[in-house]
Amino acid sequence: MAELFAAAFGLGWPVLVLLVGLMIYFQVTIPDRATRRRAVFKTFIGMLAAVMAFIAIANYKLNFFGNSRLLPVSLAMVTALSFMMAMYFYNVSALFKIGGTMFFVAAALSGYGNWLPQVEGGFPPPEVKLDFGGMTAQQLADEGEKIIFGGIGQSKVQGAIGKGQCPLCHGFNEGFLSERAPNLFGIPERAKKQLEDPRYHKGKPGDRDTAQKEAFAGSGTAEGGQEYIAESHACPSCYVVSGFGVKGTNDKESPMPTIHKPPISLSLGELAAVDTWLYVREGKEPPSYEEIIKAYEKFIPEADRPKQTEDQPAAGGGGLLATGEEPVAQIFAKAQCVVCHTIPGIPGAMGTVGPKLVEKTNAPNRIKDPAYKGGAKTVREYITESVISPGTYVVKPFPDGVMPKVFGQKLSAGALNKIVDYLSQVEEGKEPPKI
Amino acid sequence: MGGLTPNKMLSILALGAMVGLLLLPIVVSMPALAGGGGTPAAGGPPPDVAKKADTPEAAKVEKARDVYYKTEGIVTGAPAPKTADNPQFYPRYNFESRVLLWIANQQHLYYGSFVLAVPIFCMIIEFMGIVSKDKAMAKKYDQLAYDFIKISLTAYSLTAILGGILIFTFLTLYPAFFGYLSSIFRPVMHIYALLFVAESGTIYIYYYGWDRMKEGLLKWIHVSMSVVLNVIGTTLMFLANSWIGFMMSPAGVDEQGRFLGNIWHSIHTALWNPLNVHRLLGNMAFGGGVVAAYAAYRFLASKTDEERAHYDWMGYIAMAIGVAFLIPLPFAGYWLMREVYAYRQQMGITLMGGLLAWLFIIQATMIGILFLSSNYYLWQAMGRMRGAEKYQRYIKYMVFVLVCGFLIFITPHTIVMTPAELKAMGGQQHPVLGNYGVMSAKNGGINVIITTTVLSFIWYQRGNKVPMVSWAKFGNIFMGCFFALAYVNIIWLAIYGYYIPANVRVGLSVPQVATTLSCLFFMTALNLVMLKGAKQSGAIEWGKISVRSQYALIMLATAFTWMMGLMGYIRSSVRLFWHVNEIMRDNSPWAYTHTTGFAANMISFNVLFFWLTILFVFFLATLGVKKAPAEAKVSVPGRVPEPATGH
Repeated sequence: MAELFAAAFGLGWPVLVLLVGLMIYFQVTIPDRATRRRAVFKTFIGMLAAVMAFIAIANYKLNFFGNSRLLPVSLAMVTALSFMMAMYFYNVSALFKIGGTMFFVAAALSGYGNWLPQVEGGFPPPEVKLDFGGMTAQQLADEGEKIIFGGIGQSKVQGAIGKGQCPLCHGFNEGFLSERAPNLFGIPERAKKQLEDPRYHKGKPGDRDTAQKEAFAGSGTAEGGQEYIAESHACPSCYVVSGFGVKGTNDKESPMPTIHKPPISLSLGELAAVDTWLYVREGKEPPSYEEIIKAYEKFIPEADRPKQTEDQPAAGGGGLLATGEEPVAQIFAKAQCVVCHTIPGIPGAMGTVGPKLVEKTNAPNRIKDPAYKGGAKTVREYITESVISPGTYVVKPFPDGVMPKVFGQKLSAGALNKIVDYLSQVEEGKEPPKI
Repeated sequence: MGGLTPNKMLSILALGAMVGLLLLPIVVSMPALAGGGGTPAAGGPPPDVAKKADTPEAAKVEKARDVYYKTEGIVTGAPAPKTADNPQFYPRYNFESRVLLWIANQQHLYYGSFVLAVPIFCMIIEFMGIVSKDKAMAKKYDQLAYDFIKISLTAYSLTAILGGILIFTFLTLYPAFFGYLSSIFRPVMHIYALLFVAESGTIYIYYYGWDRMKEGLLKWIHVSMSVVLNVIGTTLMFLANSWIGFMMSPAGVDEQGRFLGNIWHSIHTALWNPLNVHRLLGNMAFGGGVVAAYAAYRFLASKTDEERAHYDWMGYIAMAIGVAFLIPLPFAGYWLMREVYAYRQQMGITLMGGLLAWLFIIQATMIGILFLSSNYYLWQAMGRMRGAEKYQRYIKYMVFVLVCGFLIFITPHTIVMTPAELKAMGGQQHPVLGNYGVMSAKNGGINVIITTTVLSFIWYQRGNKVPMVSWAKFGNIFMGCFFALAYVNIIWLAIYGYYIPANVRVGLSVPQVATTLSCLFFMTALNLVMLKGAKQSGAIEWGKISVRSQYALIMLATAFTWMMGLMGYIRSSVRLFWHVNEIMRDNSPWAYTHTTGFAANMISFNVLFFWLTILFVFFLATLGVKKAPAEAKVSVPGRVPEPATGH
């Protein structure tokens, strides 16, 4: 708040000085008492309005690119000052009232826009071309693992998630409880059996009672296991595994998004990589790349096939996760910190895979811990070290090796600096810093 | 009509020569366009290329396939530049370039829309003045049209200045992108410039010739010039739209973005026509809103009853024009969205059920606000009519119906969520609200709102009149039954939608919209017939409307400006990280889509900036009025127009 007032004063002091001078001038030069009082009072109202206006402008100046959802308060302040001015400056009263009404409408709509959940489109994936068709089965499977889990070897890591976002609902390991969507362990074999389920209506899509009978008119149903997997990605509602439909639809509609469409938008090459991993990780012989693509082409019409097909997924690519130009909340989201950590003050950061990040409180204690072998001397150094080299000190009882060790390369210096700045201010039991 | 004197003849010839001179360069450049631009739709090469095909260089001629039309064409352009995040492609000031461009673009668009809409109003109002049998009314209409064009003239200069600023902003901040678009549209860029010159020339002749051409044949020639003016203006807008159409749904180029020689393909993209229609209607509604706000401003600042009467009437006319174009706007929007889905389903989903879906919730809210404000104005307007009191007691029920329709209309069904939100909610749909906001119900909501607005308008028309036709009683019963059945049909279909699959449910919008349009066209027409020779229970006391109503007009204008900014942002954002969809990537540091809150703040800034500047334009207009000679004031009767001529 002090910063806001200082910025407002910095912007508006010449105007305030002018108005004070005017007030003194009126006080000294107007002989008639009533006229003088009126002039001085109106100047005072003008000063009040100027103060409000400059606070409003300062709020914009300080928070324009931030994630503050209070910018419309500035508009509300201008609304109030407009109507206040209209009350005392009769000559231009209509103009002030009209202006006030306009600011009121803008404040209401802006406030509404800021009150709604804030959704932001991330950066595009880096433009690195991958030739999926020329890869070996193992290379394809590695790319698939990156797409599903965010990196090679990440399939064993709890909470790891990649561009495909599959682990959000699906389980992948044998015996893993998967409540939202079927566990995909054993899917290469199970796919063939699902075709024989009477509810699947193999070869007779018209008999289906699901929300969507076919991926597109004339696409038909799957004839083999791979086609079943392809159809599940392209048309999740064509057949819903019992118990996994949208609540209240009696398994006629699937909650799963269509994977080749936004927001996930996997290309056919990427889908082939994902499917190949499903086979390879179980030691099964995967269908060839061409066979998988053919299966997808059966269920995805040409016009619907994503064109940015050959782009490498962001999670596995060499590009930065955040450049540092974004507000800090976005950096946390882009680096996916929010998935595993609870970070007070950051929307959606409610993860419990890693420790809660109240580092102003935690860091001094950890540095003092005899088990601490790192080189940090200050809170900022400790946070930087934990991000770049998470294995240096592992908070109990969380397991080692869960947090990726790539953030040193994936975050720009600016982004890392913003993260450290923010976390070093978060204190247990206190209000989180303003973002 | 008056005799055709040699002097008049000379004037007409001079005028024809001037307009001809203005249009001549455009006509002359057409063959050049046909020759240089291109390939016929059938896919054959242009003549110069065909000749080359017989030469040994023919082997070097490269052919490629149009990404949209799928026709083959000769590659005549360079590929779309592959940009990188560096000052060569994205030079910058110490500020987000995209935001600067956003402001420059939006301001140019607001003014451009206004100056394209106002001449259409002038044309309509001047024509109404010519055909009006009441001389006082005729003069009043004429003066109104003149006032409009005067405001638009100042705005016209500002539009040109803002256009210049926009081009400089493009060249300074996005040189590679602008260079690429210019290379595609090079065959028509000079036509665009010449049209602008023709538009400027015609508008000046139209404005400055007003007094000289106020009677007889010359007046008809004058009103015809407004037609020419609007044809030029509309063509200008269509050409400007072709750029944004190309950016959203490119055509006439191959996958690398290389121009294939057929400029018509690049102009006539998948979304060009629906964009044109939507923008034309939107400009008219927007222009109506701006003029209504101007009238409200003058009404509130009026010192005399005559002034209040004049500006009350002006506000009413502008509001009526604005709302008349606002009503078909959702249908044009529906067509545009359908074409978007047909072009790329992903684009449609990003808009309506994906990344930008929350913005559509705001849009729905704004549509509700616009209709509520319009209804409120009409109810307030009944206050200046004696005899309209009988309808006042029904207003509370209409408010109830409108609010119910509004709440249903803004309830979302499928919304985009972060993974954390998805986890917290347990699925794409909210456990409670997700059961409600399906499309047929939402369509039911908006159709109920529009039908109620039609009903308000009909009651307003009947406010001070009692139908005297012999079949009045039957007509009233028929009208009542028609509206009752319309409401039942709309609401029934809204409920029925819950019992059928989603893909079938979408089709219910057709009978729902048809019902609303039936009420709009048949009932207003029937009402007009019934009111022929109607008994008047009192005069319309122009100027006796409540002050609150004027704030409703201002709210309507501001909300419409905001909605225009919002929809423009949505349309532009749907390209995500593409400058030209799927052809030229945006590799600037601002290739991400902003949060809803940031967008809302930016739109508010643009709206308020526009209104602050246009208020200055209004202020300039009032200066002109103050300096008007006494004679001119006498010629514009301030008396209250005769209500017998209708509303």
